[in-house]
Amino acid sequence: MQPSGKWKIWGWTGALVVLLILPLFLGKYSIFLLSLLAIYALVSLGLNLLMGYTGQIAAGHAGFLAIGAYVTAIFTANFEWVPCPLTLLLAGTVSGMIGFLLGIPILRLKGFYIAMATLAFGVVVSEIILQWSSVTGGDDGFSVPTARIGGFVFDSDFKLFYLIIPVTVIMTLLARNLVNGYIGRAFIALRESEIAAQTIGVDLAKYKTIAFAISAFYTGVAGGLFAYLITYLSPDAFTIELSVDFIAMIVIGGLGSIMGSIIGAVILTGMQQVLAGLQDLQILIFGLALIIFMIFMPRGIVGMLSDLKEKFI
Amino acid sequence: MLLQVIFSGLATGSIYALVALGLALIYNTTEHVNFAQGEMSMVCAFVGFTFFNMLGLSLPMAIVLTLLISVLLGLITERLVIRPAMRAPHFNIFIITLGVSIVMKSLSGFIWSHNDYPYPSIFPDKTITIGSATIDLIGLGNIGATLLLMVILYLFFMCTRYGTAMRAVSESQNAALLMGVNVKQSFAVTWAISFLVAAVAGILMAPVVFLSTHMGIVVINGFAAAILGGWGSIPGAIIGGMLLGVIDNVAPLYLPSQIKNVVPFAVIFIVLVIRPKGIMGVERFAKV
Repeated sequence: MQPSGKWKIWGWTGALVVLLILPLFLGKYSIFLLSLLAIYALVSLGLNLLMGYTGQIAAGHAGFLAIGAYVTAIFTANFEWVPCPLTLLLAGTVSGMIGFLLGIPILRLKGFYIAMATLAFGVVVSEIILQWSSVTGGDDGFSVPTARIGGFVFDSDFKLFYLIIPVTVIMTLLARNLVNGYIGRAFIALRESEIAAQTIGVDLAKYKTIAFAISAFYTGVAGGLFAYLITYLSPDAFTIELSVDFIAMIVIGGLGSIMGSIIGAVILTGMQQVLAGLQDLQILIFGLALIIFMIFMPRGIVGMLSDLKEKFI
Repeated sequence: MLLQVIFSGLATGSIYALVALGLALIYNTTEHVNFAQGEMSMVCAFVGFTFFNMLGLSLPMAIVLTLLISVLLGLITERLVIRPAMRAPHFNIFIITLGVSIVMKSLSGFIWSHNDYPYPSIFPDKTITIGSATIDLIGLGNIGATLLLMVILYLFFMCTRYGTAMRAVSESQNAALLMGVNVKQSFAVTWAISFLVAAVAGILMAPVVFLSTHMGIVVINGFAAAILGGWGSIPGAIIGGMLLGVIDNVAPLYLPSQIKNVVPFAVIFIVLVIRPKGIMGVERFAKV
């Protein structure tokens, strides 16, 4: 291993330790925000695997978030004794399965058709949640029971933080290994040119559906954590606008980059706080950011930073 | 009853058809997908509203000015955000137009607020009775205006220099460039025309649905119509739009009334799964 790689590992470990002891010194609301940030980071990672790495526009990820959240909430309400990591795994798996099933018909489609199909999917999901009120509570919303492992109950934001952060860290590391491995390289090959990728033996159908499934899995798990954190679900929280926010998040942070996903999540959470109550201004800034980044810095903040680094170092 | 519903379906459908038409125009020349098509209609409708309501101009005068301004807006949008990214992947342009739609919506919110406003129609607000069906003249006028615009555009594409140039660009940008076609100019003209079509759609739509910043969501119906008719086909846009309008209005008769919210999405989904090229569409092959 190169010396710089070693320092990198130490740096990240240090950062993780700081993150884990940070809640001891923070107020309740800051802990809540950090948890929300981690959840957005998971969505961002999931979306980036599909959009940034594989190059498929997905405009319906609020739908997967909703599926994860409702599966977690409904399952926890009925089987309270199941340890919550298993419930989260189930939420991710259900969402991932639906992502996989969605991926199959979408295989026949190209480019923007996929954006349309996923957009339609997102809206249909929230409509189903709204109409299927015997299970989901419909318009009245759904009160989420607290998460628990055996006798331990995650009944405060402080305790939930220690559920959310480890899950996020583990899944980030998994995503990093995934994109550096064979599957990740196949994704990138598909993004650069589907035809070229096929000619060198990348199975288009297989890897596109895998990308959909993994992306949906990440977002589903994030949805589960979101349900525990927010404690109350209502179908109108999972709108097209939220899906667009997610896209803005990864475009600003950096498409096709793990670090970019996390930076994007930080920016989304930060903006929501700073501009709380100024909905229009927040949307305006996101819209302008989408345009400006796509014209001048298509690789987002991460791309900008690495360009700067090359220039000066 | 059914006849009546089909007529109102055609009236709604004519607006979807115009949105789909705007989408098809831009796609045909530039191969870009314009997510802002609905918001363009919304902005133009508000511009017209400002002219006759706040500045007190007469309705026809306001509409003529709005159409002129829409052409200008089209040229400006193309120059500011599309031209700089002309050679970028289509993925990027799609995200840019998504950004444009968000910016238009929030800016309009700042300028005109998110309230609903009543909007006068250029057609008389009367009804005539034919057999058992009552037909309102606004709906009839909207259908007529849509068909008229389509004929004008058809003549433009087939009989004028610009139109021919734009068809050449849609075949191959590089070949057109080598034949001496000004590709950049074709992009600009395309956006101007598409904005003009959006303005017509906005002016026809606002009296039916009330004027508000949420009007732009019609782009979803436009996408559904364009996909149903066959993506990129101009007759397909009109047929798809009309058909979607009819489905939109007939479905709640036989199915639970909530179905109306889901119709465009269900149509997109079903068409994409069963027949992605739509009714009039042609199979497209990937070019290397």
